[in-house]
Amino acid sequence: MVSEPDAKTFDRETLLDLVVNAIPLGIILFFILVFALVNPFGSDPVNTAIQFSIMIVTGLALLVLTYVSGKAVSEAEDELEEQGLELSEEAGADGTAETTAPAETEDDTA
Amino acid sequence: MAVEQLALTVLMGILLVAVAGLVSRMVDWRSYTPLGGASAIGGSGYGGGHAEKPAGIVRWFTTVDHKDIGILYGIYALVAFFWGGAAVLLMRAELAAPGFDIMEAAFYNSLLTSHGITMLFLFGTPIIAAFSNYFIPLLIGADDMAFPRINAIAFWLLPPGAILIWAGFFTAPLGLGIDPAQTSWTMYTPLSAEQANAGVDLMLLGLHLTGVSATMGAINFIATIFTERGDDVNWANLDIFSWTILTQSALILFAFPLLGSALIMLLLDRNFATTFFAVEGGSPILWQHLFWFFGHPEVYILVLPPMGLVSWILPKFSGRKLFGFKFVVYSTLAIGVLSFGVWAHHMFSTGMDPRIRASFMAVSLAIAIPSAVKTFNWITTMWNGRLRLTAPMLFCIGFISNFVIGGITGVFLAAIPVDLVLHDTYYVVGHFHYIVMGMIAFAGMGALYYWFPIVTGRMYQRTLAKWHFWLSMIGTNITFFAFLVLGYLGMPRRYATYQFDGAIAPLAQVTTLHQISTVGAFIIGIGQVVWAWNMVQSWYEGPEVEDADPWNLKDDGMFGREFQWFEAQKLAADGGEEEVATDGGGVRPDGGYRRAVRRVDDE
Repeated sequence: MVSEPDAKTFDRETLLDLVVNAIPLGIILFFILVFALVNPFGSDPVNTAIQFSIMIVTGLALLVLTYVSGKAVSEAEDELEEQGLELSEEAGADGTAETTAPAETEDDTA
Repeated sequence: MAVEQLALTVLMGILLVAVAGLVSRMVDWRSYTPLGGASAIGGSGYGGGHAEKPAGIVRWFTTVDHKDIGILYGIYALVAFFWGGAAVLLMRAELAAPGFDIMEAAFYNSLLTSHGITMLFLFGTPIIAAFSNYFIPLLIGADDMAFPRINAIAFWLLPPGAILIWAGFFTAPLGLGIDPAQTSWTMYTPLSAEQANAGVDLMLLGLHLTGVSATMGAINFIATIFTERGDDVNWANLDIFSWTILTQSALILFAFPLLGSALIMLLLDRNFATTFFAVEGGSPILWQHLFWFFGHPEVYILVLPPMGLVSWILPKFSGRKLFGFKFVVYSTLAIGVLSFGVWAHHMFSTGMDPRIRASFMAVSLAIAIPSAVKTFNWITTMWNGRLRLTAPMLFCIGFISNFVIGGITGVFLAAIPVDLVLHDTYYVVGHFHYIVMGMIAFAGMGALYYWFPIVTGRMYQRTLAKWHFWLSMIGTNITFFAFLVLGYLGMPRRYATYQFDGAIAPLAQVTTLHQISTVGAFIIGIGQVVWAWNMVQSWYEGPEVEDADPWNLKDDGMFGREFQWFEAQKLAADGGEEEVATDGGGVRPDGGYRRAVRRVDDE
């Protein structure tokens, strides 16, 4: 259950963007289930633990990074929208040129 | 015994803490200013603090300007590219016929080792650093790198690194008994531990230096992108190239120190009789685990920034913004994380536990998705766009085409049953050369052409650039497609000869395919000579760029921050600073109107 600010941060559009990382997560989850159900090589405490931890640790790390980055980008978007700046890659300096002092006008040979 | 070891460990710990305490008392960290002369705080705009530079060669030895260091990285990488290229042309000449014809096995092995290490560590990583050093501060509106002097130190560790790595070639003719290393770039033990040749030690030390350099650079980029961004740049509008460099830097931070540690362990095994990688000690397989825990992220260290370059350049000549920008960002981050969970897919045939092997297969298949997502995004960006087939764009399209082949052949290798058949054959070599040559080098070349006007103030010769592209594209596909087929025929990699039993593989076909590969390699070689001529001559004599928008990017609202900086430079040079404030250039004044026909400089 996400908290109130989180629900706002992770709106429909952001969740749609994050779907891209849900696919590899789904693949890993699929294999975790398959390897849990189909076990032709038998179980061994050490090797089975390593087997599952490789998938679980990697999957969790991806989940955490996706959450953190999605949150950071979404909050940054809100920030830009509040300032009335454009979201595009090129627009950073342009937006500034129209609203505040230009970011890159000083000559380094001056 | 155990008590003694415990006591030794505790003593060592105390010693390390004491050293750390001593250093922290002796060094006043606050005395380091983060910028080379410019104010770090409150500086609006690109000051850079490099107003006065000494003239001549002294400038290049003392510079802390990120743009100069970028150029140094570039020149260094290209020298290495030609060294590695020359090595492989000699190897391909040897492989044109089955027997030993122009060199002995030892020299072939030396060239093979040098080619691999040079192309990955001395060309691949530095050419990316060239672009990132020059352009990241411009793209994010920073004054310079966060730590300009560390930036300079990181570069200056590389030339001694290269000299050490190549040392054996220089000392062999002197009769000192120091020959080039013959370990292959993977330096697998016990081979690398037991070769009693000091050239191997020199190479390991050189590699260590390049690793330290890469780590210093990575820390610098992370600090720069996090803390030195302009006021108007945040995570939502950070450009895609900076995202890939940030991810790459994080990978370097976790991967390269591990390589450094493994190299030290190998040096200890070689010179001080430790047994980290000995059969009776830690086992040779330990080396493979350590090496590939570094080595597979290294693949993405090399490939993510070129993906960023293409994601940045391709839209400029498609007349459309990058399709699914955030998909590309998140998939880049996903690749970064997943790349640490796939290392043992290089070791499927080592006899490891089948359960563990299966897990590595699962994660390896999962990592294919974010890469495929990017490919579809690039294709969709071009779809229904107004493509302008300039040299940078051609290289971007070639990059995607090669990645489709290089990437899909990799997915097959991720499957254990296929890998067990194709392991250690030319198929693997073909797969990763489609990536390293077909993608990384292609993106690098595309970026060189794209930013040539900014770096030199001149334009390159367009016809020669197209010759360069087509020779590279045709040569790459001839050479490496033949590799894939050779692999299916069972040709093992790393061999100087192929005079094997006809029952193992059809020798006639193998010979023909090797000859085709050799022809392809020389076609690539000729293409690079054309390119070198073009770069050098155009730098000196090319037509000066009058307009700050040589690619007509303003028409599409694609005038990037680096070209905005370039425009500011040109206006300032003309004494017209006042105009800059009203001429950002990124927004189309006509509100979306596109001319149906337009003049394009390079089509």
